[in-house]
Amino acid sequence: MSIELTPEQARLLAELANGGEARIPDLAARLSLDQAQVAAAATLLAQAGLVTLREEPYSEWSITDVGRGFVEAGPPEWRVLHLLAERGSATLGDLPALTGLDVKDVGQSIRPVTALGWVEKSGTDLQVTPAGRAAISAVYPPLAALERLADGERLTGTALQAEGIDPGAIIAIYGPKSRYFDIREKVHRYAALTEAGRSLAQSGVQARREVTQLTPELLASGEWREVRFKPYDISLATEPRHPGKRHPLQLVIDRVRRAFLEMGFEEASSSWVESSFWDFDALFQPQDHPAREMQDTFYVSRPERTPLPADAELVARVRAAHEDGGGTGSAGWQYRWDPRKAEKNILRTHTTATTIRALAAEPTGARKVFCLGKVFRREAIDYKHLPIFIQVDGIILDERASFSSLLGTLGAFYERMGFSKYYFRPGFFPYTEPSVEVYIWHEEKQDWFEMGGAGIFRPEVTEPLGCTSPVLAWGLGIDRLAMLLYDLKDIRDLYLADTEWLKGVPRCR
Amino acid sequence: MPVIGIPVEELRSRLGREIDNDALLTLLGNIGCDVDGYAQLRRAQCARCGFVMELAGKEEVPPRCDRCSTELRDVAGAARELSPIDVIRMELLAVRPDLFDPAGLARGLRGLLSVETGLARYEVGPPQLRLRVDPSVRRESSLRPAIACAVLENVTLDDDRIKIVMKLQENLHWAIGRDRKHASIGVYDLDSLGSLDPVEGFHLEYTTEPPDFRFVPLGATAPAPAGLQSGHEILETHPKGMAYAHLLAGFDRYPILRTTAERRVLSMPPIINSEETKVHLGSRRFFIDVTGSGPRIVQRTLSILVTSLLEMDRAITARAVELVDEGGARQTPDLTPQRAVIDAERAGRLIGIPLDVPTLESLLLRMRHGVEKHDGTTVTVLVPAYRNDILHERDLMEDVAIAHGYDNIPRTLVPTLTVGREHPRELASEAAREVLLGLGAHEILNLVLTAPESSDELLGLPAHPATVLLDNPITSEQTQLRTGLLPGLLQTFARNRHHPLPQRIFEVGDVTYLDATAETGAREVRHLGLGVIAPHAGFAEARALAEAVVREWGMSLALRACEQPFLLSGRSAWILAPDGRRIGVFGEVHPETLTRLGLQNPAIVLELVVPVRGELESYRALPLDR
Repeated sequence: MSIELTPEQARLLAELANGGEARIPDLAARLSLDQAQVAAAATLLAQAGLVTLREEPYSEWSITDVGRGFVEAGPPEWRVLHLLAERGSATLGDLPALTGLDVKDVGQSIRPVTALGWVEKSGTDLQVTPAGRAAISAVYPPLAALERLADGERLTGTALQAEGIDPGAIIAIYGPKSRYFDIREKVHRYAALTEAGRSLAQSGVQARREVTQLTPELLASGEWREVRFKPYDISLATEPRHPGKRHPLQLVIDRVRRAFLEMGFEEASSSWVESSFWDFDALFQPQDHPAREMQDTFYVSRPERTPLPADAELVARVRAAHEDGGGTGSAGWQYRWDPRKAEKNILRTHTTATTIRALAAEPTGARKVFCLGKVFRREAIDYKHLPIFIQVDGIILDERASFSSLLGTLGAFYERMGFSKYYFRPGFFPYTEPSVEVYIWHEEKQDWFEMGGAGIFRPEVTEPLGCTSPVLAWGLGIDRLAMLLYDLKDIRDLYLADTEWLKGVPRCR
Repeated sequence: MPVIGIPVEELRSRLGREIDNDALLTLLGNIGCDVDGYAQLRRAQCARCGFVMELAGKEEVPPRCDRCSTELRDVAGAARELSPIDVIRMELLAVRPDLFDPAGLARGLRGLLSVETGLARYEVGPPQLRLRVDPSVRRESSLRPAIACAVLENVTLDDDRIKIVMKLQENLHWAIGRDRKHASIGVYDLDSLGSLDPVEGFHLEYTTEPPDFRFVPLGATAPAPAGLQSGHEILETHPKGMAYAHLLAGFDRYPILRTTAERRVLSMPPIINSEETKVHLGSRRFFIDVTGSGPRIVQRTLSILVTSLLEMDRAITARAVELVDEGGARQTPDLTPQRAVIDAERAGRLIGIPLDVPTLESLLLRMRHGVEKHDGTTVTVLVPAYRNDILHERDLMEDVAIAHGYDNIPRTLVPTLTVGREHPRELASEAAREVLLGLGAHEILNLVLTAPESSDELLGLPAHPATVLLDNPITSEQTQLRTGLLPGLLQTFARNRHHPLPQRIFEVGDVTYLDATAETGAREVRHLGLGVIAPHAGFAEARALAEAVVREWGMSLALRACEQPFLLSGRSAWILAPDGRRIGVFGEVHPETLTRLGLQNPAIVLELVVPVRGELESYRALPLDR
């Protein structure tokens, strides 16, 4: 059997071989180690069968603060005895005045003086007995103990006994909990070698130095070969660490952007401050449409207006589309279009303002464009609403585009986002026709969720821009998707960050 | 979007075919309705006028009757409970007002189910009433120029039907009328109009009267003369008057519809009808008017209402009213279908399905359009007068797609190959994010709407001169767009002050500045912000972080001492571009600022512009040193 001992264990083994059985504190003193170190070493050696441990109970005595007050004159029963011995008798009621003890102490004295047979009690009258008179000249153990312990020393019961003070007699008088003495029950632990330990000690023990940390010095000197690496308790907790992480909403944004980029879309952007012309008019939203009202849209007082596009013909075509359809074959909205309303600046209400700008800038050929960004609606903040949210808009301009390819593209996108089950319901939006609303099935929640709207831009939208091919278009709220993916109940959790939550959200889910 | 309850039995009985509950919901979804599902509604009836109100869940009886404004809630016996009713709850499909009521909805569904297809034809009898339109309704200061009218005969009513008529009226007001602004409807008992002897050939007139003109409005508790109220009083005190007074704001005369013989008032559009002409259970003939902003909208609204009522009870017959103004005479309602042409090949290509003329025709008929004629490639369609939403051939294509069923359209992809390309600003932001994450910071997002108290003032700075301001903020906490990221970082620390330290957070986001050279007068600049709060956070760490970021951009750190009220003097610096322009700032946050935010540990912050394609904007979030 090969046993690897730590230096402490080896020294303990040697000490026990020399000196025989010994108490742990004595061993610690002889080895110049902590008691805890010796105890740990002894326990491990005991587990290895090299050492036996024995426990021996003892009591440890010391004086209490109360006890200190009675060292001089002795405990109350002693003083009562003396008084009665002087006077022969007294009534209970007179004792406090006669002895100078308070009523409580007098009360305390009655049980001992009667139990010890010093006093006879008839009614309230107390009379000293011969035994009482004899006791006065004998040693009274409680008083002897008080005097012995008065300087604060702690002594074992055995030590008191050795000095002629019987601890048993004291306990017989006061019981195990005396108010004069602090008596603690303790054990002495003894260690001794077993046969195996003795023979191992005789055969000579080689100890290895134990280290907690591998150091450059240990590596350089090669000493690492000689030492023992202290094992860790692998179940102990360590300080939590958190990697720097992306915001969960940003992760969803990343995923959406990646999906569109992989599907061949170019990314567009435009300012949050947008003209009504591009946010509404170019999208054939009539100027009295409720979405344009002050109640729903943030208007901007500075900068207040954007001049209409320099291309006057473009503006004229948009105007005509609103008023009577112009050349688009539409009846239009049949009202007088007001260019001043179109100049009013707002905070963009949808990223469609961005995609329609991209379309106007390049209305021909085959293009796929998307824009992901913040949009603004005049909503009061609550658990479901914020005045700001994130939307992604996409358009496909293509001669061969159709409603069928719109549904296919939306399906591909949502599958890419992890939703394989979805359905399309007819939807109605002012600037697309035909239109569709997309619902996705959430497996855990076992429910359908409306995810966004889509359609083919109306001719009244595309033709004034000089665009003759069908343009597929859709808009999707990202916050809603993020709330679903992260199972959030309150949309404010996304923006008004709780950093502990951000730390705690697992990166992969 | 208001949610309506369509009575289930009323709807089913009109479908002409048995259909189970789930199939009915699917069918409604397929036509575009946003259906919540089945529900049971309690019902309460106004004891005075008999109007029936539906109450969802724990909803209480309204304080006043929706129709006659009688007080209901606190008056014993004013409302009686009726048996509950099963309904399908769904959002009002604003673009299809012809589907608002059970009869109109059933008309559409019968088509989809092929129970009854093609154009629903409605006869309109010759007029017996002539109405004069006074030119004053077209004056700028009393402008409600358009009116259309109809008469319905052989009406039989019960409480449910009165309810349906009222509901339909209310929903049309909301969906087409823009809450009565563009169109408002009046329905009257034609037999309560008193003498209809013509005066100068006219039975009725639509005119204006000054605000002190008096009549007895609906809901008045006493007849004339005690119940008389002036138009002015109605707008000030009557519940409906107060609700709609804004529609007559600035008018010096109010619109009035009345008979010519006795000058009996029917209504003061678009506010209130008169009490004596109101519809009751015994009414057998209706007079209906729609007034509003333009002829098209009032006629369309009238057509939808009239056809839905004719659909509700086939015994009802419609009769025209002749309207005469200085432009001449015309008759309403005009239920003549509108003609439109649709090309089969073009429709098929747009939808992405093969479509021949016979298929196209049958799909159109199922959407209740008529087909007048067809040739090899096109179909001439008769669009019913109640369809408010057909502006273009494209709208018919949508109807065709709906009839075909979206589920039956194949899912394809556009065959053209295009190359994905990300925006350079996003590409740059990704690089910034990678660096900041590598420095161990957590990403946060803050709202970009802010206010002076939570931005410039928080930093002890004067208002930023290039801030974009909102005209109609919704709260005083959000009145402008942010011009920097630092206030948001500091407020995030404040919000999270009870959480363990250290906290390292960053944001990569846009700030907005006025810019006269930008098209809309403002533009965004992408910034990054980084903040650390910890017992030992200090200048050295801030400088090290700034250097780390700048190093990743291939630059060396160039600094100039910075004096800002929210940063400790001597422990903050501007970060400079190689050409000397400011591109950012960092430093130890001033104890004054920390204290104001309730922060009990030192913090450092850093803000920098994000270089896009190597271009560095100037940093403008903070003013130059004082």
